Formats: sequence, structure tokens, C-alpha cells
Amino acid sequence: MAEKSKPLMTGYMISTQLMEIDGCNRCQECMKWCPTFAVRPDRPGITPMYKNAKWRELMAKNQSLRAKIFGGKPLNEDEMKLFTEDVYYCTTCGVCGTVCEAGIKTVDLWEAMRPNLVDRGNGPYGKQSFFPKLVKADRNPYQAKQEDRLCWVPKDAKVDESGEIVYFAGCTAAYRQQALGVATVRILNKLNVDFAMLGKDEWCCASAMVRTGQREVMAEHAVHNVDALKDAGAKTVLFACAGCIRNSTVDWPRWYEGYIPYKNVPLSVFLREKIRKGEVDYKIPLNYTVTYHDPCHNGRHLMHEIGKDWAFEASRHCIESIPGVKFKDMLRNRELQRCCGAGGGVKAGIPDLALDMAKARVVDGEEVSADVIASTCPFCRRNIMDGRNDAKSSIKVLDVVELMAASMGLDTTIPENPYTKFQEQDVLVCGPTTCTVETVERKAPGKDLVGEAH
Amino acid sequence: MAFYTLGLTFNLVIILTVIVLAVWVYGIYFNFKKWGLGSTGYHDQLRNSFWLFLATWIKEAFKDGVWVFIRTAVLDVLLLRRTLARSPIRWVMHMSMFYGFVALAALSGLGLMIDIVEHFNLMGLAHEAEIWKEYLGLPFDLFGYLLLFGATIAVSRRILLKFVRDNTTAYDAFLIGAVFLITITGFYAEWMRGNAFLVGNMFEYPIYAPHFALIHTILALGLFAFVFPWTKYIHILATPMTLLANRGGE
Repeated sequence: MAEKSKPLMTGYMISTQLMEIDGCNRCQECMKWCPTFAVRPDRPGITPMYKNAKWRELMAKNQSLRAKIFGGKPLNEDEMKLFTEDVYYCTTCGVCGTVCEAGIKTVDLWEAMRPNLVDRGNGPYGKQSFFPKLVKADRNPYQAKQEDRLCWVPKDAKVDESGEIVYFAGCTAAYRQQALGVATVRILNKLNVDFAMLGKDEWCCASAMVRTGQREVMAEHAVHNVDALKDAGAKTVLFACAGCIRNSTVDWPRWYEGYIPYKNVPLSVFLREKIRKGEVDYKIPLNYTVTYHDPCHNGRHLMHEIGKDWAFEASRHCIESIPGVKFKDMLRNRELQRCCGAGGGVKAGIPDLALDMAKARVVDGEEVSADVIASTCPFCRRNIMDGRNDAKSSIKVLDVVELMAASMGLDTTIPENPYTKFQEQDVLVCGPTTCTVETVERKAPGKDLVGEAH
Repeated sequence: MAFYTLGLTFNLVIILTVIVLAVWVYGIYFNFKKWGLGSTGYHDQLRNSFWLFLATWIKEAFKDGVWVFIRTAVLDVLLLRRTLARSPIRWVMHMSMFYGFVALAALSGLGLMIDIVEHFNLMGLAHEAEIWKEYLGLPFDLFGYLLLFGATIAVSRRILLKFVRDNTTAYDAFLIGAVFLITITGFYAEWMRGNAFLVGNMFEYPIYAPHFALIHTILALGLFAFVFPWTKYIHILATPMTLLANRGGE
């Protein structure tokens, strides 16, 4: 006897989200902005309008008036497979929600659809299924040792174990893009900011789990990290990783029942305050045309939480403060920016899609004749670098913090450590009066089991 | 007046109205219950409840206070701010259709009320009621033209703009076509009576005017009760409710 088909599940959908699906008036605005549809124009099914319509159709098989009167219909598994693909062909960048006439909170909607697909046995997609296992086993997605969290910190750097200001570096800065971590530590030291880091008590923010609908590890990580930050005496937590600050601001509080006494602050906001107070002393001009890629996670995802000034302007102000830099915005910027393609588990699950999206963003940068695309997200940076390499573009990709550290004349040499061989990022090499950017070669495919984790 | 012809009596019209309203109300209840299949919060258990959907919606809509609710209702629901931000043409289209549709529905309801007053001579106002009905003619025409204007833009952009046309499904075509058809039949019925607003007696054919009026009424009521709650048309209700629940998406 054939196994009975499972119906479409609604367990993770809030009832108002089910209403939102019916609120889609098919105006097609999301289709014009969707960055995945832009590189996969033969697949309209991946756009929000079609996903909503499909969900309605699938739900109607068992929940329509017809189904109530004559009985429900089994779901076609091929159809479910295709729908799952459509739902996961999305970086959860949220531009669809920004332009949605009906005001649908699309990021929350996709993130609520996905766990239902996971529970039904359809999701996640590709290598995304490794996330929970890896993170549960190692507390980071890179199969790295927790004891090595601070292995990149220069010996002469001053980092406390507790304090009111805590820098939450994130897994990528700790193991894969240590130049960002070193630059951050050097700048904070230079500015005489007493700050702490959690070391082995810093666990993965678990962003990838929530984004891909695999929430089971989330509770443990959210509670652990909040408690660790509280134990460290944090009043201000600095983030140089867009994915981490998104999770810390939006997701952790959903899983943490107690009072959270600290404030999450993007590092660029903290540094802008220092610039405004005249505490930042630049020494070397950077004679580059620099453009800024707004990460979705601390831009659109947080603009209603922390305000558009923090979300979009602070990083631009930091870049513009650097002597010699000529700043130019890309055509699509701020809340309407084009996603780099790494988020929502796409980099791990559908790497070719992520790469094509990154190439589109590189083209955006080239259109304004930028020498450097700067960002404040290690995942955006990784993916845009991959896109740049694939497109054989000469554009450089750096973090805003690294640009600042170079111009301040700080030594950002990464100490030798077990993860040195994994360091593949464009680096600024500075002499006494000038800096140049060295480009990395293409990353060897398959080095990381799951690629980037946001 | 041509209200009750072709075998329709006042009582029959009232019975049909009650049936149509009952189907519509059940349709709305059905949708609320379907939406109630979701949970009440991020971690909450499923309750499968009509009432808990309403409670969740109220909680979300008033999350940031009454002032934000009112601001959203005015700027986003009544003035369609988000649509204006994206496309002024679509904004004109939606505003025309929305206010044309809502006003015509309200005028139809008012017309029925006045009819009841006239039929039962409530408070001895039968004669006055007949006069009031005459006054409804002009607003009916004005809002009808407004709806026609919006519907014409809607149909035109689906035909003329390639991107929009390419992504128009049969479903979209049927629904927009239905609105357009109802609007046109309404006008034609009015024009056939003669002495019509803007067109005068150009289309006068009074013998068949009631027939056409009946076709228009059946189509309009059919759309209202048998299509609106059960199809994509539910967005007429779900979109403003979404905007309110999400505080305008901000």
C-alpha cells in the first residue's frame, strides 16, 4: 500500500503570515528587484509572487472549500521537490519585502516556510544539511577547534576576558578571514578601547541554521552566547560581521527568555563615533575609488531595528573619512541594494547561483569604475571575491575596517596559526606612505565542506 | 424603476441579498479559519482557531500602539503609500479601482437601504426615499467612471507592458477581465436607459436596459460572494490587513 502523502505543514507559520500569502496582489514588483531571478530569468517560480501563489495552491489541496467538501488531494512529490527548490533558491536578502506593496515581511515568511519543508522531509538543500551536525559538534561550521578562536590575535594586542565592551568576532573572522579580526583588534587597541573577547565561549551565531529552516541548534547557541556575553559583563557588543549582528539582534532574543542587558552595535557605528570625536588619526592616504556593498543582514534586515543611519550611513561615513579615498555608490544601494548571493544558505546549497549573483554585483561595482568594493560582511566579501575571480575582474574586495586600519598605518599582519593556510582574502600591503591591495587567487573548490555559513 | 423586473420581486431581492451576504460572510470566516492554521507566535503551538487568528492579528496590528495603527491605516491602507513609492502609474490605477470599487459597493448598500425604506414606507418616508435615490445617480456615475479608469489602466498595462504581460497568468487575466466586464456592463446598462451621464441618449435602448442591469447585478454579486473570498481577490481584504499587521511593512 502506498504511503499516505503528508500535507503541507503550517507549524512554523504565524497565522498572520498565512494571511500575508493571501495579501500578495501579484503586482510583480518583487520580480523586478529579485537578485536571484535576475540571474535565473528562466525560473520565475523562485520569485516571491510565484512562491506565494504556489504555497496557496499546495495548501488548497487540503484546505480549500472543495477539499473540505470532497476530500483533500495528495501532494505531488515532484511538485513539492520543485517548490522546495524554489524556496531555497533565495538568499533571504529581503529586497522583495522592501518593495512589496502589501508590506509582506518576506524574510520572516521564507524563514517560516523552510522549517515546514524540513519537517516534511523536503528541505534543506544540498550541503545545507551539514550545518546542524557541524555546528553541534564543533560550535562552528568550519570544523575548527573552539580553543583556537583567538589563535589569530597578535601577541602584543591587548584583549581582556571580560569588560563592558565585547567584540564578537564570529566564526569567519576567527578561522577564515583573520585579517578582519586583526584589523579590528589593532584599531580598538590604537583607540585605547578596553574590550574583551569570549574566546572558546564564543559559539557560532547559528545564522545559517535559522536561514535554512533548521532551527534545532539555535536555542542552545542563542542561550549560550547571550549568557556568555552577560557573564563577561557586556554592556556594548561590537560586531564586524553582518550575519552575527543580525542574529544577535533579531534571532537570539526570540530564543532567550531572560533579560538581555547589552546593546548590539555595528563596529562601523562605534568607529564613526571615534572619527567624529577626532580620535582616529589617519597616516596613509588610500588613493582608490571605493564603493560600498550594503550587506543584507545589517542593512535591510536591521534597518527597522537599529535605524537607517546605523544600517546604511555609518559605514559610508567611515569610508569617506579615509584620506585619498574617492567614494562612489553603486546604482543599487542601501535598502535597494543587490544581494551578493551568499546568504540564506545559498553559498553552501547552490554555489553556482551564489557565484552568478556575485558576478552581477561585481558588474555593479565596475559600472561606477570602483577599484575596491568594501563591505562589512565577511560572507559578502568571500562571495564577491569568488565572483570577481570567476569574472576575471580587477576589482578588489575588502572590509571597511581593513581600509581604516591600513590608512591608520597599523600592522595587520596575521600571526602564523593553524588556519593560516585557509586565509584567502584580498589584503592591503602598506609601506610608510602608500598601500597596495594584493588579490588572492581563486579559492580551491571543496576546501570548506559547507562553504560560508550565513 | 427598473430594479424589480424580469420576475424579480422585492422579497426575492432581499432573500438573494441575504444569501449573497451569508456566502460572503462564510467565505471570510473560512479564510480566517484557514489563516488560523498558523501559530500565534514564533515558538507557539498550533491552535487551529478562527478566534486566535483574530487575536494574533490584533496583537500584531497594535504592537506599536494605536497611533502607529492609525498612521498605517491612513498612509498605507487609504493612501497606498508603498505603491506610490514604487510606481505612480500603478498608484493611480489602484487608487481609482479601490475607491471606485469601495464607493460603488457602499452606494449599492445605501441604495438597498433606501429601497427598504421606500418599500415599507418606514417612518412615512417612502416619497423622500424615492427622491434620495435620484440623488445617488451622479455619485454612481462618477465612481463608476473612476473604477472604469482604473480597470482600463490595469487591463492596458497587462496587454502593453512586455514584462507585465509575460508574467500574467490566466488567473490574473480572468480576475482583471471580470472587474473590467462588470464595470462595462454596469455602464452599458446605465447608458441603455437613456439620458446618461456624458453619453446622453447615444446608447438608449430602454426595453433591454433591465436585462442588462440584471446581468450586471448578477455578475457583481457573483464576484462579491462567489469569487472574492475564494480566489486571489481575497487580497482586497488580506492586503490592508497585512499592512496593518506589519505596521506598513516598516
